[in-house]
Amino acid sequence: MSKTLNRRDFIKTTSATTVGVAAIASGVTLTSFAANDKSVTNAKRWGMLIDTNKLTETEIDGMVGACRKENGWGSEVHSTGNQKPTWIKKLKVQDKATGKITDLPLMCQHCEEPPCVDVCPTNASMKREDGIVLVDRHLCIGCRYCMMACPYDARSFVHEDLTDQKEHMPRGKGTVESCTLCVHKVDNGESPACVASVNSDAVIFGDLYDANSKINQTLKKIQSTQIRADLNLNTGVRYSGI
Amino acid sequence: MNIRYEQTQGRSLGFYALIAGLGVLILASLGAVYYMEHHGHYVTGMNNRIVWGMPHVFALFLIVAASGALNVASIASVFNKKMYKPLSRLSGLVSLALLAGGLMVLVLDLGRPDRLIVAMTEYNFKSIFAWNIILYNGFFVIVAVYLWMMFERRMNKFTSKAGLAAFSWRLILTTGTGSIFGFLVARQAYDAVIMAPMFIIMSFAFGLAFFILILMASYKWTERPLGDAVVNRLGNLLGVFVAAVMYFVAVKHLGNLYLAENAGVENFILFGDHIYTNLFWYGQIILGGLIPMALIYHPALKGNRPALGLASVLVLIGGVIQLYIIIVGGQAYPMEMFPGKEILEGYGGIAAYTPSLPEITLGIGGIAVALIAVAFLVKFLPFLPESLADEVADPHHKS
Amino acid sequence: MYRLLVLFLSIALSVSIAQASNDLSGNSKAAQSTEKYHDSVSVIRKMHPEFLNHKRDKTLRQGVRTEENSLKGCVNCHANKDEKTNQYHPVNEQDQFCSTCHQKVSVSVDCFSCHRTTPGKGASL
Repeated sequence: MSKTLNRRDFIKTTSATTVGVAAIASGVTLTSFAANDKSVTNAKRWGMLIDTNKLTETEIDGMVGACRKENGWGSEVHSTGNQKPTWIKKLKVQDKATGKITDLPLMCQHCEEPPCVDVCPTNASMKREDGIVLVDRHLCIGCRYCMMACPYDARSFVHEDLTDQKEHMPRGKGTVESCTLCVHKVDNGESPACVASVNSDAVIFGDLYDANSKINQTLKKIQSTQIRADLNLNTGVRYSGI
Repeated sequence: MNIRYEQTQGRSLGFYALIAGLGVLILASLGAVYYMEHHGHYVTGMNNRIVWGMPHVFALFLIVAASGALNVASIASVFNKKMYKPLSRLSGLVSLALLAGGLMVLVLDLGRPDRLIVAMTEYNFKSIFAWNIILYNGFFVIVAVYLWMMFERRMNKFTSKAGLAAFSWRLILTTGTGSIFGFLVARQAYDAVIMAPMFIIMSFAFGLAFFILILMASYKWTERPLGDAVVNRLGNLLGVFVAAVMYFVAVKHLGNLYLAENAGVENFILFGDHIYTNLFWYGQIILGGLIPMALIYHPALKGNRPALGLASVLVLIGGVIQLYIIIVGGQAYPMEMFPGKEILEGYGGIAAYTPSLPEITLGIGGIAVALIAVAFLVKFLPFLPESLADEVADPHHKS
Repeated sequence: MYRLLVLFLSIALSVSIAQASNDLSGNSKAAQSTEKYHDSVSVIRKMHPEFLNHKRDKTLRQGVRTEENSLKGCVNCHANKDEKTNQYHPVNEQDQFCSTCHQKVSVSVDCFSCHRTTPGKGASL
């Protein structure tokens, strides 16, 4: 093997050995490492139930803060006003007829039929087998069409260079991002940061398909709804009290 | 009928001044692109509520016009109107040039334009956007082949087949472009299938307006004869297309007004007290619709070329305004997330948008690219007939 | 004449590469460790784009979060600390881990517009 590392050799040898080593590499993966190496399946579907009757405004602010801290957004210096990313926001909604005011947190709803996934030209906007909707930022070209399509204004575009990203949450200029349901925590058996920040059962997170889960049982008992239910998107995030 | 095509000289001071002027605009737009890409989109007026701004207005305007500019050639090849045949080559050229300009603007505004290869290789066939990428690239190939059929004497017999292919492809392409908006259920301004045919009829008007201006300018500046038979015919056609656009606009808005669920966005566009309403009535309807039709059809102005030129310019300005209202206005109006409820905090309200200079510069650069392509190519290849005087173009016309 | 030029350049290149080929000269965890965590340098050098591309899809799309071929893993192990300030150097900074080769072959590294360039606070390996 030559010690010369010029570009032609680099490309030639790389392409020549790719097929062979790729096959071997996957074999090596399976045998050397054991933990957490299984692909997720659609045996589970992750969901969240937010009870706005029990959730206080302070708790919602806490959820937003926890998301910021966990995922590293919110400290952009150059973006102004609506350019700032908001993975989760607090909404104050008033019923026009009755005057009742409700506070609720709004984030990506992780729809079963996500409009953002339908419209993405490069498959960057994707839905994982277990229902979590993500942006594969390796493929995102920054066209923002998914942002046009999202019925919940859940997505943000990164308008400036970023530094000091969280190690588990890479994010960068020119790509689109949104709530990941803290997929890096969920895959480790934990709850999303926003859910963990609320110390009551005002926000429940769990597997919608598991009949023994708290969320499944609660959804069977109390009234709940999806935001913009008429769009038939079958969201993973449900609300009661609105 | 023996039409002789001839390249333009392209050596006059005027020609070089034109190229230089357009070149400056293009360099400015490239500078704007570097500025936006280097710093990030925070330097633009776009944000998370208004994600598509001036660049997209210009890009879609040029892409829609590109499709319509091929109309003249289609009328010749597909509908066999002999008088339009000498204009076919220029029609194909203008069509490709406008598309190139529009795509340039669209691609250079991407958050990651360096990932264009990803867009060409990773396809989501459920996305109308991905389909549009295929349609736009295919359009280049089809029109190039179509032009080759027209230029190469031995291939002339295939012109009508190529013309039919180009015509069909064009209709699918423009339907696809309209569907980019028409398929978005999330926003009140868009969720309407009528957007597809409306874009087609808009393409007819904008494309023909561009074509008329380029035709009149090329013949005037190269001092070649351009008879009234051709010009008046095209002018009348433009009037018909403008009227058709107004019809579709009327149907879309009246239809929406009838449906209670869309009353909000209609009140916003038609009767609000902000810029979109003013742009709609004064810009799109009066400036872009009624005045051009008056200029074209008024008996006192029959055959008046400056009037037709002005009408074409106004149609184009009205077109940019129309797309601004569709694209930016449609995003500015908040989505109806909680019917029957009002959002006090967190979301809502008419989103503010101020076009920034880099965005406008990029958009204008796209138009400049299209025009410089036409200016150069008519010099290198024989696109323009030597004469379009009445006797040559339409020997049987009645003066 | 042409051939001599090519020969001269490749020798010059290989000499400079030879000097950079052993990047375990700093105080990174990799430099201080004697264990073998991954394939040999020459395999990694040729194959790391493939390994990383394959792994990123597995992690992002399928939820497989192992250490093997993890970019985060590379950064955690190969980042060097500045003795004076006790801060890590970004791995894509000049003369640091990635740049030692990438500068020479003039191939731009796109990863770090998004990925963190120094080990995170809770990093361990």
